[in-house]
Amino acid sequence: MSILVDKNTIVLVQGITGREGSRAAREMISYGTKVAAGVTPGKGGTKTEEGIPVFNSVKEAKGAFPEINTSLIAVPPAFVLDATLEAMANRIRLIDILTEKVPVAEVARMIRFAEYYQAKIVGPSSVGILSPGKGKVGSIGSSELVYRIFAPGPVGVISKSGGMTAELSRILTEQGLGQSTIIGIGGDLLIGSDFVDLALEFEKDAETKAIAIFGEIGGTYEEQLAEAISAGKITKPVVALIAGRFAEQLPQDTVLGHAGAIVSKGRGSARSKIEALTKAGALVANTPEEIPSLIKKVLT
Amino acid sequence: MKLFEYEGKKLFEKYGIPVPKGVLLTMESTRPLLAPPLALKAQVLAGERKARGGVLFVEDMQDFEKAKRKLFETTIDGETPSYILAEERIQAVQELYVSFSYDTESRGPILAISAKGGTGIAEAQIIPIDIALGLPDFLIRNALLQAQLPLNSSLIALIKSLWRLFIEEKAILAEINPLFVVKEGVYVAGDAKIILDDNVMNPLFRPFLDLDGDIAVLASGGGASLINLDALLYFGGKPANYVEYSGNPPASVVEELTVRVFSKPGLKGCWVVGGTANFTDIYETMLGFVQGLRKIQPKPTFPIVIRRDGPRQKEGFEMLREVAKNEGYNFHLYGPELPMSETARIMVELAYKK
Repeated sequence: MSILVDKNTIVLVQGITGREGSRAAREMISYGTKVAAGVTPGKGGTKTEEGIPVFNSVKEAKGAFPEINTSLIAVPPAFVLDATLEAMANRIRLIDILTEKVPVAEVARMIRFAEYYQAKIVGPSSVGILSPGKGKVGSIGSSELVYRIFAPGPVGVISKSGGMTAELSRILTEQGLGQSTIIGIGGDLLIGSDFVDLALEFEKDAETKAIAIFGEIGGTYEEQLAEAISAGKITKPVVALIAGRFAEQLPQDTVLGHAGAIVSKGRGSARSKIEALTKAGALVANTPEEIPSLIKKVLT
Repeated sequence: MKLFEYEGKKLFEKYGIPVPKGVLLTMESTRPLLAPPLALKAQVLAGERKARGGVLFVEDMQDFEKAKRKLFETTIDGETPSYILAEERIQAVQELYVSFSYDTESRGPILAISAKGGTGIAEAQIIPIDIALGLPDFLIRNALLQAQLPLNSSLIALIKSLWRLFIEEKAILAEINPLFVVKEGVYVAGDAKIILDDNVMNPLFRPFLDLDGDIAVLASGGGASLINLDALLYFGGKPANYVEYSGNPPASVVEELTVRVFSKPGLKGCWVVGGTANFTDIYETMLGFVQGLRKIQPKPTFPIVIRRDGPRQKEGFEMLREVAKNEGYNFHLYGPELPMSETARIMVELAYKK
């Protein structure tokens, strides 16, 4: 098994005629994922180079392809809230947002409405979701590298960094450890799905035997995961890599690589996250290359 | 994007939040146009400004000159002020704390409020806000009750104004600390800390930080750049800077960053590092690096460790080998066969000749 994405995933791409949207659509098709349709308001009735029909609205696309169950949002930042609400209003329950630089207030709004519509949002700034050998949503794993980097297996991967999804998976695969599903959750301040949300999904997935996470300074998503482990909600072993220890001495509120990577004292610092996770019983790696041996340790 | 106090207070005035009478001073300003006693506040972005000598109180004009000079000479977190805000002294009977921000626990906006503000603020009450509802009055009343504050109508109005500012100005933090209580029903914002949403205000923002060390770093990837600096420290290296270039930047951007990181005196090495790039053109970015390197005088002789993988990596590395041979640079090139963190160890060994 896997989580969120599998062979039954049928994707709608909102913003399919844009640069990011068309590239992601091509990439998904080349990995064998079914991309049923795209939406770009004003370009309805046309087709993409790959022959995917483009509609003016999600409603029209869903009318033609009621089997669509997932939407990839690749519209410019100012239109992301609207596109996400449109997907939810049309009962699409899994929404992956590729777009970066979405205003924080609008992310808060869509997270609130996702509760109402019982939809799951991954992102913004999500590189995508990939279940090896089954399918992918988003631009995760470019076609030149995808078979070298990812392989099916027992490790669920959750990463705040898009680049590190590829790096961690490559390191795991090289050490004979395949992955059930890899998810880029994005490094924004507010995100639709956090470590706890997805670890709970992995908890229910029989194939997943261990969870590897890439976290970093800022926010409290890593601390919340530690609390969920301590509370017994997550029982599968967790191996974590936490970035940003070097930032300890930097001025508070400094923003580093991602919008949510904000230098904080106390809760939110790398030290706080590492201590919380260690105390909860998770294993914390010093470098990416240490992860496979820690995973092997918890799997035996 | 963090605002200076005086910029934040301009926003407060726009939204009808009372602030002390004040004048902005430059180094050349002679008279404050306000009668002492005054508070002189260095306009820097650093936190805990008062405890670090960034705020001085003056009782007369003699004090004023001395204090002014001193503040313009004080460096806090590497920042020396361009402006000083001179403000009338407020006699307060109480100092409160109030702020709006986004919280990663409730994943939405929160109101934080405390009856004990100022430096060393005690635990604030945290009230999550349903962004679909906005901020109805009852929620403010609940917050005031929770913080054991009176249900004063001008305090409620002030909190509403701060909420409007927070939403309309696209802030991710709008904080008043301290909020002076002059007397029952009269409130004045003593300080302003406003952080605007970079995603809206500054989407091309690229962080660049000077650090204390001697190894220049050009890192790629939002997350990988952090983990790589950690690795460098882990192996005993001292990074000279933090910078990150994500996406697929044109050569000119990398050239500019290269010139900037090499401008620091006393470097012992340079580490160009990134994970397996999905779309970044390695040839293009390495070309930018070489163009930048050629501008550095005298020519750097210290070791330069480059670890890159991704599209056109082979062409990029061929070009780098040519350049090293013809122009005499001390390049050490690694591809995906060596982990990123392993090249941190190599960088440290080469730089410090361990």
